[in-house]
Amino acid sequence: MAKAEMKYDTQPENEEHSSLKGTLASVFILGAILVVTWVGVYFLYLDRF
Amino acid sequence: MLKASLSSKVDPRDAKLSMAHFYVAFTALLVGGLAGLLQVLVRSGKFQLPFGIGYYQVLTVHGVLLGLVLTTFFILGFHLAAVSKTSGTLTNKQRTVGWIGFWIALVGTVMAAVMVLLNQASVLFTFYAPLKAHALFYLGLTLVVVGSWFNSAVIIMKYAEWRRANPGQPSPLLTFMALINTLMWCVATIGVASTVLIQLLPWSLGIVDTVNVGISRTLFWYFGHPLVYFWLLPAYMAWYVVVPKVIGTKVFSDSLARMSFILFLLFSIPVGFHHQLLEPGIDPAWKFLQVILTFLVVIPSLMTAFSLFATFESFGRSKGATGLFGWLKKLPWGDARFTVPFIGMVAFIPGGAGGMVNASHQMNQVVHNTIWVTGHFHLTVATAVVLTYFGVTFWLVPHLTGRTLTKKMNKLALTQGILWAVGMTFMSGAMHAAGLLGAPRRSSFSEYGGAAQAAEWIPYQIAQAVGGSILFIAVLLMVYIFINLAFFAPKGEQEFPVGEATNQAEKAPMVFENWKLWLGITVLLILFAYTIPFIDLIQNAPPGAKGGRFW
Ligand code: HEM
Ligand SMILES: [Cu+2]
Repeated sequence: MAKAEMKYDTQPENEEHSSLKGTLASVFILGAILVVTWVGVYFLYLDRF
Repeated sequence: MLKASLSSKVDPRDAKLSMAHFYVAFTALLVGGLAGLLQVLVRSGKFQLPFGIGYYQVLTVHGVLLGLVLTTFFILGFHLAAVSKTSGTLTNKQRTVGWIGFWIALVGTVMAAVMVLLNQASVLFTFYAPLKAHALFYLGLTLVVVGSWFNSAVIIMKYAEWRRANPGQPSPLLTFMALINTLMWCVATIGVASTVLIQLLPWSLGIVDTVNVGISRTLFWYFGHPLVYFWLLPAYMAWYVVVPKVIGTKVFSDSLARMSFILFLLFSIPVGFHHQLLEPGIDPAWKFLQVILTFLVVIPSLMTAFSLFATFESFGRSKGATGLFGWLKKLPWGDARFTVPFIGMVAFIPGGAGGMVNASHQMNQVVHNTIWVTGHFHLTVATAVVLTYFGVTFWLVPHLTGRTLTKKMNKLALTQGILWAVGMTFMSGAMHAAGLLGAPRRSSFSEYGGAAQAAEWIPYQIAQAVGGSILFIAVLLMVYIFINLAFFAPKGEQEFPVGEATNQAEKAPMVFENWKLWLGITVLLILFAYTIPFIDLIQNAPPGAKGGRFW
């Protein structure tokens, strides 16, 4: 399996196999969840105190 | 020699020592889980505890057994197995030290448990002064900590032996991680040992009359926050190193994993004030400083998240996945060794988000001492962490007992994980919501004299009871699976999955093994964050509290 990966690495047209765009999207979604949660409670705080 | 020890099984003599820890851990899960069920039932308002048993007693059983006993014993057993597997079988001397530690900790656990069951120590798992427990409770806790130090000595000795035998080589990744967690534990437990030995035990014995509450809480949280990372890092060991091997790929980056563990060592300890944000006696400037240090832990956490996403995506793409999220479909969902820890990882996302709210000084006022906090740590420790421990149990216990995880048990294990996820969604979700509406934690059912606000909480308390009951079924299933794997599963070979780095040629920088440097920075950060506020707490102390038994 490791060999197969190395083969892909040498073939630029196979970009679909080495791309980490899903990881990028995932960390953005994760970041958004953190921000939304925080801002949500922040407004609750402003509302109450 | 290295190769041989890597491919081999954990030696049966070491396996026995690990298993001894797991028996204690899973007994704690069963009894603590039962206490949890009682709590949610009481809080629903539809059930009352029989025989005059108090709510605080049950809650102490639950917190101590699950928060302290289950976690600590599982971790010590897992560290031993991981180090024995990756750095070689323990020497006879090391194993003896390990057994001595185990028995000391077990005697301590039994002492503390007996005092709790006799209602002599209903002080909750944080044993805050001025609640005063029976002296044997404090002595028992001390023995648990002392026992864990013997275990720590084993890990440190084995590591040192490996380094001597392999000069100039970075230690095996799992050993390195277990060592970091052990060092963090040793530094952190100094705090709890100090408050128990210098303050609480003499006070409980009547040698001194009063106790300085501010100091005791500060020492507790100096220990208490690294405690939660002590729970978490073994789960990270599994996420970084074991899960990639289970799904059939490599560790995304050995160096990134080591770097993140070092950052946890540095930033886990000088941050205890984030549990004391609403306490008097500590200058806000120092609280602010510790909050900044707290938020630095976001860095290694996000490094971990990135690394895991990348592991999963590169695996899926190597299997031909396309599109933005096609790789998700390629993951081995039918394998409980992967899926159950994965559920844990998912739970850690809202868990971490809630943690950032808790740690933000002003916003802490919204959630402080509400049941939101309980909802938060049932996502982090009681889901992310324990589901990962369960995921480890599914292969480690049969590996140690010379048995195998059968297809049928694997299915049951998946059911267990799913039930946990469903139950926890209800229970923790309801706790978060009720907490935002002001419902207090650590309190029995009450209508608060018919107050309108308290009436709002009741539907959520019913939802908690529904979720908690589902969770209890999951606890029973887990205990059943553990007993099966320990005693009844068919004999065979179960793999201990240890992932290899993607790039074997790239050696991890040796600076990661420079303990003078990392422990030095750790100590400096602690001194920086704690010295002045600590002097303040002593010099400007209010009259000591007499305390007593309030239950
Ligand atoms: C059957 C599963 C479980 C149920 C139904 C359950 C339920 C509860 C409830 C209702 C409370 C809060 C009670 C209150 O504040 O009045 C609580 C507290 C707590 N739970 Fe759980 N829980 C479960 C599993 C766990 C697990 C697996 C852990 C740890 C690994 C855990 C650790 C704790 C801790 C440390 C507390 C805090 C105790 C305190 O405030 O002193 N729980 N649990
Ligand atoms: Cu903390």
